[in-house]
Formats: sequence, structure tokens, C-alpha cells
Amino acid sequence: MRSIEVISYILTVAPAFMAYYLASLGQGFFEKSGVLNLAIDGVFVLGIAVGYAAGVYSGNPWVGLLAAMAAAVLFGMMLAYVTTKFPISHGAAGLSIMFLGYGLAGLIGVTARSTYNRLVASGIYPQYTLPTSPTARILMFVIPVLVGILFYLIETRTKLGAAIRAVGENPHAATALGVDVIKIRLIAALIGYSLIGAGSMGFLTWIATWSEGAGVNHGWIAYAISLAAGRHPILTIGTAGAFAALATYMFALQAAYNLSPEIAKMIPFIVAIGAMVAFMATPLRKKLAPPLSLGKRFFKEERTV
Amino acid sequence: MVLVKRIKPLPLGGILIPLLSIVIGILISTIILYVIVGASPIITLSCVVSSLISPEIVLTFLFLTILGVALLVAFSGSIWNIGAEGQLWLGTAAAAYVALFTTLPQAPIVAKIVMVLLAMVLGGAWAAVAGILRAYLNIDEVPVTLIMNYIAYYVINYLVRGPWLGKETWGYIRTDMIPDQVKFVLIPGSTTITYEVLILAVLTIALTYFMLKYTALGLRIRILGSNPDALKAAGVNVRALIITALAISGAIAGAMGAAQLAGYLHRISYPIESHTANYGYTAILVAWLSMLDIRAIPIAAYIVSALYQAGISMQIAGVSGASATYVFIGTVLLTFTVLRVFSEYTIKIVRR
Repeated sequence: MRSIEVISYILTVAPAFMAYYLASLGQGFFEKSGVLNLAIDGVFVLGIAVGYAAGVYSGNPWVGLLAAMAAAVLFGMMLAYVTTKFPISHGAAGLSIMFLGYGLAGLIGVTARSTYNRLVASGIYPQYTLPTSPTARILMFVIPVLVGILFYLIETRTKLGAAIRAVGENPHAATALGVDVIKIRLIAALIGYSLIGAGSMGFLTWIATWSEGAGVNHGWIAYAISLAAGRHPILTIGTAGAFAALATYMFALQAAYNLSPEIAKMIPFIVAIGAMVAFMATPLRKKLAPPLSLGKRFFKEERTV
Repeated sequence: MVLVKRIKPLPLGGILIPLLSIVIGILISTIILYVIVGASPIITLSCVVSSLISPEIVLTFLFLTILGVALLVAFSGSIWNIGAEGQLWLGTAAAAYVALFTTLPQAPIVAKIVMVLLAMVLGGAWAAVAGILRAYLNIDEVPVTLIMNYIAYYVINYLVRGPWLGKETWGYIRTDMIPDQVKFVLIPGSTTITYEVLILAVLTIALTYFMLKYTALGLRIRILGSNPDALKAAGVNVRALIITALAISGAIAGAMGAAQLAGYLHRISYPIESHTANYGYTAILVAWLSMLDIRAIPIAAYIVSALYQAGISMQIAGVSGASATYVFIGTVLLTFTVLRVFSEYTIKIVRR
């Protein structure tokens, strides 16, 4: 195989990589603050629909990006707020936002698609083409990786990063040290979920258009990617790249190596469980174990009167 | 403003709070549907009300009752099994295996029993994997059970596309129809409800009620939810208990999977993720709304199945029923998750 072919194969993975990596980076960053994030799939799906709708109505994909990020942030901050302010189950709150995200995505997407079809039929709407030039695809790799390095630095070198980790490990101790738990978790949701929203928009550059159910289960793949890398921004580059390639070449792999696409779809989830076991049972746990208070209720009991 | 723990739980909170959440959730959904797709609130509300008396909800009601009980067993022990979806589909696959690839269907009664039992074994074993990881490595069961749902989907997809692909499928990717003699028997006058599913639902509730209320195992599971340290101090094997609770939960979900195949679907179609009714996820709302009281499970299942049907019957301008259903379920679940705090806490205004 000539090297130019190898490069073109790699570049084809770019849209999937951008979508998965940004979303899983945001997922890992948010969960570091101790909120179990089961809303990701619903919000990811919602981000795709909102991004598509805003793009259609405004005629500008960048407006779509901003709208997708804003919608994701809204729901992410809602999750962070209710799970921190009230003694409620992170899982139940996350799953209800997931359901809501699926539902809203269907409603918004269907409305936007019929508008789009009408505009195109009346001939006043420009047809967009996806950015497929090599330069655009290289940027789809480079920009997310740069963002990932920035996040690694934020997590390890800044006060904010230290505060987020402290809140995720032990929110009560963090409070005693003067950290405002709810503020830190809201900031983590703001930053993390804006990446998840950006990932949704990245997904649109991969699948090109919205249809009913677009993106369902892909949020969970981002979830598995983040788990498999122990929520580490740099390691996530590897898992995101591997699983993006797997998703992109699912059918080619079947033709070439007789690997069933069903097995290919299963691999990220099996690897994620394997990684969770490894991060709990081996010395890797020092670096990659989940935050101690992940999913635990944080609530300061007031004295009963 | 602070939350203060009540001395006693809110009187009648177990009834008032779920009902209030359902009403508020439906109102929020009505507003959402009006704002985004312009669905008339009158139509939305009349869809909800007419679903409450629609005969179409009975099958969903029975399935959600069984699954609600399955989840209740785990939830009672504070084990958050959100993998009922995968466990039930493995049950469906187990039943399909017995019905399609063994000689048992020649003895229909034996075959039906084996279908349900094998489904329970497989569903239980699938859930027990998460139980083992939780018990021995302290890995949170929530992500594990959730992820295993998708592994289950793809395992079954693999089987249906590959070795189990039917001969008479008219171009669809699906298994053959299961033999007529192992299909569950329809109740006269109904097109969906079968005697066996009814029996299964009644048995599930009765046996689980007995198990939780009158056996040592049930007592231990309930204590596991409130005070696991007391169990350790009393010398109970907590690891085995966690695995058992998850296995029972998965086994009941598996039984429902067998009932879904023999009573309604009669074949498995590819891909699962687009053919599933998502009962495994919807049942989380049922178990949750029951406030973990098994007597309230049928009531919760009734209301949730009505909401489920209301979404499907909406049919607004190209919007699929699934979207409206998700909006209903999402808003009710979110409202309830927040409001149930107030059965044990009250808001107090304090000046700082």
C-alpha cells in the first residue's frame, strides 16, 4: 500500500474522530467533577438536532455549532445543578434528561427538516457540501487534539483543574477547604458540555444530514471511549482514534477480514468494561480510577428543627 | 433557602408526589409540544386521557409491570440495575433458541416452560456479571449494566444476521417465525394479550412480594439498601447478596423477554436497537415512580403505559410517536426525581 493511500485512509476517519473525541473529552472533564453523566447520549442527539435546525434556519453552519453547544450546556448545567443541590440519584436525573433529549431532538429535527426541504424545493436555499478537502480533514484532527492538550493542562496545571478534581474526589472535604462545590460543578458542566455539543456538530460533518434517530447510541460510544481511557485527555486521543476508525471502516473490515460489523460495534463497549476492571484491579488505579465520589449524593444535612 | 429533613416523611407523600409529578410532567410536555411543533394542547391532553382507557395499553402495562418488579428487586438493595433492556433481550434470544433450534416444541408445554426458564437463566447470568464486578472490584454497576445493554443488542444482531437468519424472511433480516404450538395462547377477544403473559405477571408480583416480605433473602436485600454495614457486622456474605439481587432482577427481566417473543413478537428482527420498544429503560420510570413499594408497581406501570401510548397516538405532522413518548417520559421522570426529595425534606427560608 502506498503511503498516500494510507494517509487518505487515515484522513477519512477525521469527522468521526472529531465527533467522538470532542464529546468524550467533555464527558471525561465533566465526570471528573463527580457527577455521573448518563445524560450524554440524549444531549448528544439533541445537539445534533439543534445544530442542524439552527444551521437550516440561519443558513450558517457556525451558528449551528454555537446553538448545539448552547443547548448541550443548558442541559448539562441543569444536570449538575439538580444533582448537587438536591439529594437525588445522579442516574435517574441523567436518564430523565437523556429521554428528554431524545424527545426534543425528534421534535426539533423533524420541524427543521421539513423547513429545509421546502426551502430547497423553492430553490432559494444554497446546497452545502461537506468539508472533504485534505486540509479541512487535517484540521479536524489537529484542532481537537490541541483542545485535548489544553484540557490536559487545565486539569493538571490550573487552580480550576485542582478544584474540579477535589470536588470529584471528596466534595465535603473540598467544601471545608473553601471550594464552592455547586459553582465548580456548574463550571465543569459549562466547559464539558460545550465540548459535547461541539462533538454533536462534528457528528453532522460525518453523517451530513439529520434523520430521525440521528446519533442515538453514538453518545454512549463517546461515553465508552472516555471510560476506556480512564477519563485522561491524552489517552482519550488513542481510544477515540481507534473506535472512530472502527466505526468508519466497519463495513470495509467485513469485506477484507470477514469481521462482522456487529462485533466491530461491540468492541468499544467490551474494551470499556475491560478498562474499568483494569483501572480498579491493577496498579493503573493510581492514575486512572474513577473519581471517588462519582455518582455519590452530595448533600449537607441541615439540623432537623 | 435550605433543605431541611422532615422528622417524619410527608404524610401521603407516597401517593401525592408521584401524582403531582405526573400532572406537572404532562403539563410541561404539553407546553413543549405546543411550542416546538405547534401541537394543540387540547389534542395532547385528550390523547393522554383517552390513552388511560385505551385497551391497547394492556400489553405494555403487563410487560412494564413485570419489568418494574424486576428493577424493584435490585433497587430495593440500592443496586441500580439499568440493564433490564439487555437482560430482557437476552431472554428473548434464549427463548428463540429453544423455539427454533431444538426439538422441544413437539411438546409445547415443556417447550414454553423451558423457554421461560432458559431466558431467566441467561438474563440472570448477564446481570450477575455486573454483580460480580460490583461485589469483588467495587465497580459501579450503573455504567456496567448500561454498557452491557449494547453488547447484548450486538450479540443478538450478530446471531440474527448470521447463524439464526431465517429461511422464509422475504428479504428482511430476521429469524423464522417460532412454531405455532409454542406461541402463547391469546385471550378470546384480544389480539395481543395471552394467558401465559397474564399468569407470568401475576406470578412475578406474588412471588417477589413474598420473597421481599417474608424471606430472609428479601429482608437482607432491603437492609442492603439502607444499612449494608449492619449486614457485614451480622456476618452476612454481602458479595453473594449483591450478585443474587442482580441475578434475580435479571432473571425476571429475562422471563419478560421470553414472554415478549412467545406472546407478541414471534420472531426477532434485525437490528434490535431499532425494533426494541425500550421497555427496559421505560421500566426504570415505573420502578422509580412506585417509590419502591411493590403494591404501587401496577399503578405506576398503568400510568407509564398510558403515557407511552399517548405519545404513539399523537401523530403530529410527521413527528414520530417515539419523540412525543420520550418527551412525556423524560419530563415526568425529571419532575419526579426532583419532587420526591420533598417527601423527606422540606424547604426552609433562612436569613444568613
